[in-house]
Amino acid sequence: MPKKPYIPPFVFGILALICLSIAPYLVFVYAGIEKEMGLAQKIFYYHVPSAFSMFLGSFLCFVFSILYLWKRDKNCDLWAACSAEVSLLFGTLVLITGAIWAKPIWGAWWVWDAQLTLTLILWLILAAYHMLRTYIEDAVQSARFRAVLGIIGFLNVPFIHYATKLWRTHHPEVVRGEEISLPPDMKMAFFFCVITFFALFFALLFKRVSLAKVRDELESLKAEI
Amino acid sequence: MPLFFIQTLAILQKDLKTEWRTRERLSAMAFFAFLVVIIFNFIYEPGSPIIKTVAPGIFWIATAFAGLLGLSRSYAIETQNDCLMGLRLTPADPGAIFLGKMLGNTLTMLILQALILPILVIFLNLEIAQALPRLILPILLGTLGLAAIGTLFSAMSLNTRLREAFLPLLTLPIFIPALLAAIESFRAVLEGSEITDWLVLSGAFVTLYIAACLLLFEYVLED
Repeated sequence: MPKKPYIPPFVFGILALICLSIAPYLVFVYAGIEKEMGLAQKIFYYHVPSAFSMFLGSFLCFVFSILYLWKRDKNCDLWAACSAEVSLLFGTLVLITGAIWAKPIWGAWWVWDAQLTLTLILWLILAAYHMLRTYIEDAVQSARFRAVLGIIGFLNVPFIHYATKLWRTHHPEVVRGEEISLPPDMKMAFFFCVITFFALFFALLFKRVSLAKVRDELESLKAEI
Repeated sequence: MPLFFIQTLAILQKDLKTEWRTRERLSAMAFFAFLVVIIFNFIYEPGSPIIKTVAPGIFWIATAFAGLLGLSRSYAIETQNDCLMGLRLTPADPGAIFLGKMLGNTLTMLILQALILPILVIFLNLEIAQALPRLILPILLGTLGLAAIGTLFSAMSLNTRLREAFLPLLTLPIFIPALLAAIESFRAVLEGSEITDWLVLSGAFVTLYIAACLLLFEYVLED
């Protein structure tokens, strides 16, 4: 049975490709060099949008987990699991770029800064989510448990945020509330990078979902034989 | 009394009774917690002043690890003679089953803490007699938080290939903010400073997670 091509991954993929080729120009040529941090500040254009994508992914996972428990639609579980996986990838990027940035600026690869700690703990929850999937054999039960963990895990975000903030905070105050204290050229490059990373996020997510669907189909075909 | 609470109390009574008859779980937990306290001592120079600042951490690590040991058995005992099926078949609300189990686990952990606190005082030369009344609330909240998520995940981990061994992997990442609050407020009490912010945090954690687990437990118990 020939299937019609699945459009969204293609569209977002092209968009991400275009944006990713323009972004370095905006980051390195168009936006000025920050006075105090110098070139190291450039990583901020990749670090913060990655963090946004990570939170978007965890939020989508939370929403799809609720939808799964409510509707019991297998596709919701698929979307939740794929969002969590892509979110885990972006979380890894956040942690790595954070460490690279912290070395020249704070003089250490890792500082227990509130926001980095929040990212790390969320990353741990996503990793646990991923492990839960691989450690349960029964597919329906696995989907149910994953949805429960997806909800419980996301509800934890405000607590981690508040706890780590009470505990300590070192982060540069760039994005706080609606006030963004950046010069216009940097702001422009930053927003463009946010769009770029969101495009990349959705490209990967759609691709991952279509892959998961194909795999599912293969499994059911195998079962038929 | 509403039916929900009667069911909760019945489950709680059943759990406490089976535990009391063997005291298997509590003695293993207490011994493990004791070992954790002893082993942590070897990390530091004997008599070093650091020990006093890390004492709250040692107390909570011992509670959390030993607590997880007990929590993992909380459903494992139900697998004998198909008790879990029996639980599912009772007319009790899944929320009531959760709450009964959770309260049973909380009580067990509180007894455990009552046992290890004196050990901590003796081995680490802590002076907590005056701070004790102010310690009760943060300890209670921290324990409730651990019991809530631990009880939910304990039923889940039983169905993984790793069985009970999977429980810490699920529970610990979620427990981190409450653990942080518990350790920091313990330390603040010892230093005689304010703990309101931490109490608000752990209070909110306990409230939200108990509510969420009450709602979600149904999906975990489902066969």
